[in-house]
Amino acid sequence: MAFALKRTPSTPSAPGVHPQALWSYRPQSDREAGDAIVSNLLLHWFPAKVYKPSLDWTYSFWLGTASAALFFLLILSGLPLLFLYVPSVERAYASVKDIEYVVTFGWWIRAVHRISAHLMVVAVALHLVRVFLTAAYRNGIGRSQRREWNWVLGVVMLLLTLFLSFTGYLLPWDQLAYWAVTVGTNIASSIPYVGPQMRELMIGGREIEQATLIRFYVLHCIMLPGALGVLFAYHMWRVRKDGGLAKADREALLPLPRVEPATPTKTYTLLGVARGTAPAITSSSLEVPGASVNAVPDLTRRAIIVTLGTFALVSILASLIASPLEEPANPLVTPNPAKAPWYFLWLQEIVTDTTIKLRSFTINGAFIGGVILPGLLVGVLTAWPWLDRTSADVVGVWFARERRRQTLVFLAVLLAILALTIVGTYLRGPYWNFYWPWEAWPEIPARI
Amino acid sequence: MSDTDPNSPSPTAPETDSRDARPDRRDFLLRLGIGAGVVAVGAQGAASLRALVPNVSYDAPTTVKLGAAREFPDGLKFLPDQRLYVFREGNTYHAISAVCTHLGCTVRAEALSQPETREVGGSALRLTHRFACPCHGSTYSGDGVNSSGPAPRPLAWYRLSVAPDDGQLVVDLADEVDRDFRLTLA
Ligand code: FES
Repeated sequence: MAFALKRTPSTPSAPGVHPQALWSYRPQSDREAGDAIVSNLLLHWFPAKVYKPSLDWTYSFWLGTASAALFFLLILSGLPLLFLYVPSVERAYASVKDIEYVVTFGWWIRAVHRISAHLMVVAVALHLVRVFLTAAYRNGIGRSQRREWNWVLGVVMLLLTLFLSFTGYLLPWDQLAYWAVTVGTNIASSIPYVGPQMRELMIGGREIEQATLIRFYVLHCIMLPGALGVLFAYHMWRVRKDGGLAKADREALLPLPRVEPATPTKTYTLLGVARGTAPAITSSSLEVPGASVNAVPDLTRRAIIVTLGTFALVSILASLIASPLEEPANPLVTPNPAKAPWYFLWLQEIVTDTTIKLRSFTINGAFIGGVILPGLLVGVLTAWPWLDRTSADVVGVWFARERRRQTLVFLAVLLAILALTIVGTYLRGPYWNFYWPWEAWPEIPARI
Repeated sequence: MSDTDPNSPSPTAPETDSRDARPDRRDFLLRLGIGAGVVAVGAQGAASLRALVPNVSYDAPTTVKLGAAREFPDGLKFLPDQRLYVFREGNTYHAISAVCTHLGCTVRAEALSQPETREVGGSALRLTHRFACPCHGSTYSGDGVNSSGPAPRPLAWYRLSVAPDDGQLVVDLADEVDRDFRLTLA
């Protein structure tokens, strides 16, 4: 067994020196459990001890971990694709077709990449919903906490995730891709004054061409994942600095159940957290024995379960769901109807409905629905921790009574987005006409 | 070397002065260093961004020959490469862009069941078609005026002319014209 260690308690020669190179998956003592964290590069993110209820499956649903696992899986499955895909207008479509039909297991790698991307949008969005509903963007104990900044970081990371998905959407250079990018970049150009220049910068010219493909390719493979990786590392570090999940804050605020007698022998080494030798200053109920558990193995075990579970789910879905590949991009013919990827369908629905006409004065729906409304939404979301004026008692509590009103508003917005997505997905036929799914697919009038 | 006494005080400045001056000089150099760094990073960033704005466009030319005028059919012809509809009625011609003014999808032409004649830009125009956009469902009447959906403006009309060398029909996609434009050939 690679993880096997001698079972006798180790005695480090000096504080901070850890005689064991490997860590035990089943530590025999608190000290060994603590040692594991310090001696392992990956585990040094984690605290030695975690507040037990914050590991509950039903508190966080481990959505952040699942998002991270998906991001990792995307990088993993993206690597072989980097070798196989050719970012050229002439060859992109054929190379994706080769990946799909010629390369051994190419279809599976592509499916894994594609499904992880979709699931990551879902997981990151749900993670944000969870954090909002538990008010985890608020500082509970306040001491050097900056949870609100981690929330802002999270919003930025959600946007990056969406852009990553969207930039990947263009790369196969099929009809779906071409028209999604046409519409997407035209939304940018609907901004007064600077819009057209912004569009030109995005697509590298006036037409969607080679320059566009290579720009989106570099964004998709280097810039956006790089930015997301850096922010992710910072996000994790902040979680650690803020004292773990918000649920732990709440516990710190609760009155002490009983006072512990002082421990006779104290140690102030880094790992003095080991029970029995810690300084007997029990400042909060968090430090009551039993309130927290060793990160190894309680936290690591769950993290591994979530990660492997995510991988398994993606692998299974990838073998069941085929990745679509439309006809090659054709700038001359727009598919009918031309639909955005599902996570942008609500926006497509909004840009359809928000063109404002006041006699001779018209504002393009692209500007209102594509720029102003989403901009406002992101703005309000970002500023929310400073707008929320409820007391610190709500931190880490699902659907806290005190926040009932904002919870309802948030859920209403969420429901609206969901409803618009459903309308866009199921109730829009040719020419974006409304129809009921049980009706026959409307006849498309003969084309010239 | 030998003619200076290392123990004698420096002749250039008294000791008290040099002690006062030192933090100033250090401070100045520090600011200079930071400033230089900011300028360097800023300039490099600006240069990198500027490099992404193309100086040369290899886009297709905006003036395109469309073929001999008399070979156009009466009624409408769709030219996919130019995303353009060319209409002919006897010996008058006009051209309407197929690019939706909402978000740039290519609109489709639908034949009207009953052709109608309407006053467009001062002269009568026989409308045989209307246009519909597959992306968000905008519709336009046969003269390109937006009639429903999110499209904010009518479809563009472009100037048609006849090439002096070989008499082909020419469109200038950079030259938008009013809806009273007609090219009449003798
Ligand atoms: S692009 Fe034509 S309706 Fe939106």
